Parts: sequence; C-alpha cells; structure tokens
Amino acid sequence: MANERRETGLHSLRWRLLATVGVAALLGLAISGVLSYGQAQHEAEEMMDGHLAQSARLLLALVSDNEAHLAELAKRLATVSNEHGSAYEPPLEFQIGRADGSLLLRSAHAPDAPLSGTPGYSVIEHDGLPWRMLTLAASAEPSDYRVQVGQSIALRDRAALEVAGQAVLPTALISPLLLVLLYFSVRRGLKPLDELAADVASRSPENLRPLATVDAPLEAQPLLLALNRLLGRLQDTLDNERRFTADAAHELRTPLAAVRIQAQVAQLSRDADDRQHALTQILASSDRATRVLEQLLRLARLDPLGGLPSRQEIDLAALARQLFAECGEGTGASPARRVRLQADDSPLLVRGDAELLKIALRNLLDNALRYTLPGSTITVFACRHADALSLGVADDGPGVAGEDLPRLVERFYRGGDARGEGSGLGLAIVQRIAELHDAHVQLENLAAGGFTASLRWPLADAG
Amino acid sequence: MRILLVEDDALLGDGIRAGLKLADYAVDWVHDGDAARLALLDHDYQACVLDLGLPRRDGLAVLRELRGRGSQLPVLILTARDTSADKIAGLDGGADDYLTKPFDLPELQARLRALIRRARGAATPTLAHAGVLLDPASKRVTRNGQPIALSAREYALLLDLLRHRNHIRSRSQIEESLYAWGEETGSNTVEVHIHNLRRKLGADFIRTVRGMGYQLSDEG
Repeated sequence: MANERRETGLHSLRWRLLATVGVAALLGLAISGVLSYGQAQHEAEEMMDGHLAQSARLLLALVSDNEAHLAELAKRLATVSNEHGSAYEPPLEFQIGRADGSLLLRSAHAPDAPLSGTPGYSVIEHDGLPWRMLTLAASAEPSDYRVQVGQSIALRDRAALEVAGQAVLPTALISPLLLVLLYFSVRRGLKPLDELAADVASRSPENLRPLATVDAPLEAQPLLLALNRLLGRLQDTLDNERRFTADAAHELRTPLAAVRIQAQVAQLSRDADDRQHALTQILASSDRATRVLEQLLRLARLDPLGGLPSRQEIDLAALARQLFAECGEGTGASPARRVRLQADDSPLLVRGDAELLKIALRNLLDNALRYTLPGSTITVFACRHADALSLGVADDGPGVAGEDLPRLVERFYRGGDARGEGSGLGLAIVQRIAELHDAHVQLENLAAGGFTASLRWPLADAG
Repeated sequence: MRILLVEDDALLGDGIRAGLKLADYAVDWVHDGDAARLALLDHDYQACVLDLGLPRRDGLAVLRELRGRGSQLPVLILTARDTSADKIAGLDGGADDYLTKPFDLPELQARLRALIRRARGAATPTLAHAGVLLDPASKRVTRNGQPIALSAREYALLLDLLRHRNHIRSRSQIEESLYAWGEETGSNTVEVHIHNLRRKLGADFIRTVRGMGYQLSDEG
C-alpha cells in the first residue's frame, strides 16, 4: 500500500527533482549543442573558403611562372583533382584563362562559368546545382591570367555538417550518462529522507518515541521537530486515555463487584434480614455504577469539545436561584443538611451554556451534600467580587486535607477520607466545564472553617 | 477464625464482610492503609483480604511492612488492578494469592480456606481428631461417620481447637479468634459453647486445663 504510493511518480520528491534537474540539464546541453553545431558549421565554411582562396592563389602562381608548361600542368592537376580526399575536403574544380575570357585549362568537372566575371566570391548555378566560386585575377601587369575555383555547395554543406556533427557528438553522448549520474545523486541526496520514512514505516503504532534528529539533514529538521512535537502530544493524549480507561474500568468494576458479591450473599444467606440488607446494597451498588457511567459519558461528550458550540448570555445569579429552587431547599436527598442561597440581585452576566453551568453547579452541590456531616449548612452562591464573578457552593464542614486539595480535580481522585460513594469524576467535569467557559475552578478551605468550591470569571477591568 | 478485611469501598466492603461471615469467619473491616497497619500490629488474624488502591497508605506498602516484620500471615490481594504486571508486583510483594474484581464469593471463600490450610502446614483440607472429622470446605462435621449439627460459633470454636490441637487455648485467645470488633461477648459465652460441643462430641473430647484454658484430649 505504502509502496503503491511511493511508485506514483508525480508526488515523489525524487522523481520531481529528477525530472526538473534532468530537463534543465538536457535543455542546457541541447542549447549548447545547437550553438556549437552552428558555430562549427560556420567555421567549416570559412575554412573551405580559405581553402578555395589558397588553391586559387597557388594555381595563379603556377600558371604565371610556367605558362610554357601549361599542358604538362593540366595533366598533373587532372590526376590530383581526381584523387578524392576526406569528407572534409570536397573536390575542388577550377578554370584557368585570360581576362578576355579565353580558357587555357580546366578540371574535368569544372562548371562552365565565364572567366570575365568580377574577382571575388560568388555563387553560381551549374547543372541545376549551386556552386561556390572564387575568381582571382593576376595582380602583376602585364599578365592577365584569371583563375576560377569552385566547389559544389551540396558537397561543402555535407562536409560542414560532418564537422559540426563531430563537434556535437560528445555532448550527445554525455547526456545519457549525465542522466544516470543525476539519478544516483538525487537518490543519494534523498537517502536521509528515505531512511526517515523507513524508520516511521517500520514503527509499531504504539511506538511514539521521538524521531532521531541528529543525523537528519538541515532541511528536514523543522519537519522532524514538528513531527516530534506532534508525537509528544499524541503520547500525552494516549497516556491520558490509557489512564482514564484504566481508572474507568476500576471505578466500574468496584460497584459491579459489589453487586455480584451482595447478590451471592443474598443467595447464600439464611437470615431474612441479612438477605434484605444485601438486596438494598445491590440497589445502592447499581445506582453507583449508573452514576459513574453517566458521569463518564458526560465527560466523554465534553472532552472532545474545542469550545462551546453556542454561547448565550447567562445570568449566574438567576442560574443559582434556579438550581436552588430545583434541588436546594426542602430537598429530600439530604434532610439533615440545610441549603441556603446567596445570590446578588443585580445580574451577573457571562457568555456560555446554561445547561453545562447548571451541571457544574449541581456537581458542586452534590459534593457538599455528600462530604459534609449531617447538620451542616451549605450555601449556593453567585456573587460579584472586586476582581471576579463567582458561582459555587460553600459549606461549614470539616474542609479538605491540604495534600488532597490540588488533586481533587483529577479524574477518579478521592480524598483520603472519602468512602467511595461518589464517582470521583464530579470535579473533573466541573473543571472541564470551567475550561469551556474561560473560567477557573477555585477550591479552598476557609479560615473560619468550611470549604468552598467555585467557578470564577476574572473581571477584565480588575486592577 | 478471624480475618482482617481492608477495603475502602463501602458497598463492596460490606458485601465481602457479609460473605465471609457466611463462612463463619469473624471479620474486622478497615477502610484505609493506616488503619490496616494498626489492626495488623494489634491483633492476631488467620488471614488478610487486602485491596491495593487504598486511601492514606497503598495496599502494597501495608503488605511490605507486614512482611518486613517477618509476619507469615496469609494475605490475599483483592483488587480491580488486573494486569500481569500488577499481579506480579502483588505476589512478589509478599501476597499469597491474588484475586481481581469482580470475583465469585465461593471462590474467595475457597481461596481463603486454602491459604489458611497452607499456613497451618497441611495439604489435606480436612481436620480430624479422635473420630471427629471437620471439612472446612463444606463446613460439615462428622463423628464416627455420623453428621453432627453445630451452630456457627460452635463450628468456629471446634475449628480453632482443631487448628491448635497441640496448644492450650486461653479463653481470651478463643474470644479473639471467634469474635470481630463490636461483637461483644458475654462473660461465659465460651464456656457455653464448650459445654455444647462436649454434649455433641462427647464429654471427654475437650479437656479443661485449670487456670489456663482448653485443649483437645489426647487421642485414643
């Protein structure tokens, strides 16, 4: 599966590098090839022109010195011109005559051009083919010899092409080699990335240790660091999840174990009272398991929220009054404790989710009812302080042991004296709801005795 | 026989105590590690059922201290921690047995019987003396093959005497073994139970050592 992805060239860094660098290199080679080809062709033309001029001057000199041996010369030249040289030496044809146009001597295939023409290079047509001609007149008076040499342009071109081709050949030969070299360089250059990929690919899903950054190339470092940060966060999340699962299992197992053993006690007991007691305990245990489950689900729903989906304006004082009306005064749950309300008359406005805040406040109230002694007074309050708005519950009970205080909001943490009635999740839920509302949870023992737990919204204009 | 139960959960602890009482154990129940430590120092138990996650002092710490004192008390760990690592730590920490929650009451009872039997140094589950046979698993007592009906206290007293057949048991030792905290004993309850046992098992089955206590009579 991973290999399939790696084979698709379009997204592979290696193939992209190879393609771009390869195309650039080939393009460079091609341009240089075209340029040197043109240059070589031009140079070959010049050389052949030079050759023409040299031959013409030589012939002129020969004729001027040895007019008497013209016939002899003609014979020799015929044999020389017939000997074919290399491809770079296209056959040279010539005519020798006088200024008046009379022809003294000519090579076998020389074009039949008038000798009276003006001296210099020209192109003429002969037998339907273009020829490059050079006409040269004797400079020393009274001699009026004229020499005309020419080459077939077709042959000249062929020679020029041959020369230019030879010049380009090394470039052409080098390009495949260059491509191969490029391929290996790119592969070698990307090897650290491949090793990194292999390291990541070969990992088991549980292995979230940071990737080694020591040997990684500089360019990959930011990516690696970001990855390691992500891995670290993932590890934290996973650890939390594991701890939470283990704790949740423990918290559910205990009441379930109680249900089971009480049921067995009820089965085995011969005493009616014992049996009745065991059945009552079964009910209590299943209530407890239900409560743990409900709180777990509530927390599970709250946990993934990045923020509140919708925020309304909420009056904390009204909220406290509402909760107090619902479950404060005259509550049947805990007749031995008195619940009071202390809410400001002026509205205390925050933005948030009223349902969630009510759950938080109810959890705080439940805790107070559960962990205070009978006869205690519990106060539900919503107040404006100099520096903050607060919503919470205070009691005049024994308070919380100092070493337990910072750990109370931990999931499933119960203080040393707790008798395991609660789910251990109440304050964790309050904490989460506070986070979602940009508030913080304050837990403190009061100097005068008692304990207060509240959500506090710092006031922006407070010193 | 007296057992110390260390369990912080109110509902579960109540259930275990009731279940152990059904097996005629006297059960002392403490809720945290510190109380467990004190109870173990002060009293002579036949076994301890120990939870691990305890307030104030972890169960393993309690166990370490107990073993550090050289105590041979049979300890059964009863916990929700169910990974191998936890079990290994518990058993290597000095526990004799390890049971995870939720568990079966009869199994807990059987394991305790086995632990107590082993601590006595015996492999056979039944106790026998002068034709009287006691099977702790079924709690049945026979005399020369005939079943004998005993009350829970009489059974516990017989078990105590059988387990200490080579020693003289004082009245306070017997009371300590038979009764848990809060179960007040009358001034002559032990004598009443002794009397009843003699009536059911034969007048010379138990002998009184004047000024010291009671002991099973020599066989034959």
